[in-house]
Amino acid sequence: MSGALGISALLLLLAIGVPIGVAMGLVGLVGMTLLIGFEPALIKSSVVLFEAVSRYELGVLPLFLLMAHLCFAAGASRDFFAAAAGLVGHRRGGLALATIAGCAGFGAVSGSSLATAATMGLIGLPEMRKRGYSTALATGSVAAGGTLGSLTPPSGALIVFGIIAEQSIGKLFTAAIIPALTQTLFYMATVIVVCRWRPGIAPASPRLPWKERIASLVRVLDLAAVVGLVLCGIALGWFTPTEAASVGATLSLALCAWRRRLNRKSLRHALASTLRTTGMLYVVIVGALIFAVFMSFTGLAQQIASFMQAFQGQPIVAIIAIAVLLLLLGSVLDGLALMLLTTPILLPIVTGLGLSPIWFGIFLVRTMEIGFVHPPIGINLYVIQGIAPDIPLARVFKGVLPFLAADFLHLALLIFVPALALWLPHWLS
Amino acid sequence: MDPVADSPEEPVKEIAMPRSLFYLGSAGLLTVMIVEAIAVAGRHLRYPLLGALEIVQAAIVPTACAAMVITTLCQAHAIVHLLLDRLPQPLRGWTRRAGWFAAGVLFAALCTGEVWLTGDFWNSFEETDVLHIPLQPLRILVTVTAGLLAAIFFHRAARAERA
Repeated sequence: MSGALGISALLLLLAIGVPIGVAMGLVGLVGMTLLIGFEPALIKSSVVLFEAVSRYELGVLPLFLLMAHLCFAAGASRDFFAAAAGLVGHRRGGLALATIAGCAGFGAVSGSSLATAATMGLIGLPEMRKRGYSTALATGSVAAGGTLGSLTPPSGALIVFGIIAEQSIGKLFTAAIIPALTQTLFYMATVIVVCRWRPGIAPASPRLPWKERIASLVRVLDLAAVVGLVLCGIALGWFTPTEAASVGATLSLALCAWRRRLNRKSLRHALASTLRTTGMLYVVIVGALIFAVFMSFTGLAQQIASFMQAFQGQPIVAIIAIAVLLLLLGSVLDGLALMLLTTPILLPIVTGLGLSPIWFGIFLVRTMEIGFVHPPIGINLYVIQGIAPDIPLARVFKGVLPFLAADFLHLALLIFVPALALWLPHWLS
Repeated sequence: MDPVADSPEEPVKEIAMPRSLFYLGSAGLLTVMIVEAIAVAGRHLRYPLLGALEIVQAAIVPTACAAMVITTLCQAHAIVHLLLDRLPQPLRGWTRRAGWFAAGVLFAALCTGEVWLTGDFWNSFEETDVLHIPLQPLRILVTVTAGLLAAIFFHRAARAERA
């Protein structure tokens, strides 16, 4: 009862615009006060605050953010798009394919869906419109491609999940590699199918000479090497995620200097942007951890888990029910709120059903990604419309529909074939 | 979630924030970056940097504290906009003030709890195991940060009330 009341209060506070971290922390603190008394609730919450801000593992967040901002400063987004456009841009729908490939490459350095959609939108969208692409396909490919930023490791969403769920961030990153690759392939297949069905919506562009194509590929080699080293280092156990993030940030700083893009202004901007976003994430994580402690006192997760015992023989049914619940919640809550609200409740249920928490992290982020492109929230759709205000929102949504279908197919694949996420970490271990 | 909210291809704009906070946060962040990078290199070259983890833990506290205050001053906290953006203007202003007041209450409570804990640990001389870095200054910094956040949120709620 107290758990359900707490969730209702949280949803109300979120709806009236209370900052997410504050809403979770406040509900957690008040809820604990009612359950265990004011003094223990206050002490417990304050212990959570100090432990969170002094936690070694949380250092991974600002360091990966700094790496992303330094890669921006080095011109990563334009280079990734140029390399992909050079390779496939001359084919029918090639620029849409290049946008998706660019999103996958850039998503690996940005770790964020919104940043990937906004950045690739600024680069890919004008190019596609100039070449006569349908506005629906152009905006749809950018909006959907942008979601790759959340899953492609190193991903901010997976770091936050790892901290809240107390799971290995390295394992989560390794587990996300194949789902992110297959998601990219699903989106590319969608573009190919749509272009075969209606060839007029994406005319072919002139073919670039091989010399230029190779030059554009060479330009991203250093960036790809940094990302590759960070991911390989984590996957092969050369360093911890926090160490990987510091190596990545240091190399990105060196890369910026190597490319002559490092100056006082760009470094200051990278640091200031990193600090501003880091503060937002710390408040959210502290609030979520206080809320999670409150949830553990309510016993709500155990009650739902005992109800879920009915599905013991068929966890797939339970997972489909959870997926539907997440998709419904994802249509009214933004991705971060969805993850932080549901993780303390759903994780014990999922592990109770005998499923891997690492798999659940990937599944949760994948579901969250779908929320980025489906209305009424669909934040990526609004980002794209902000970049191209002359394109109506309905047109952007129409463009994203085929990609949404691909998303649902991919989610189903992830549910029915958990090895998609679990095989690589298992094999590497 | 959107950890990186900026669009990097836009011209680089100055983000307004107090210099002291910027330098405090940046110093901590760069310390973490350099110490960890040296620790990794040292370990692979068989010259391990002892206590690197403790330096990181100590350096991350000022970074996190400065970052939370900067985010609050920049009004960059994560908010669900679904209902808020659809409310009529006077009601929207009222709900925003209520949100700031709620935030003030939370951080005031956390500040009180931190004062309590800092007082409890005052004579126990907490320190890290390898480098013996004292934890007391870090606790004081977290307490001051929570108090500062509460003050900013209450001030914002009150100022908006008068306006």
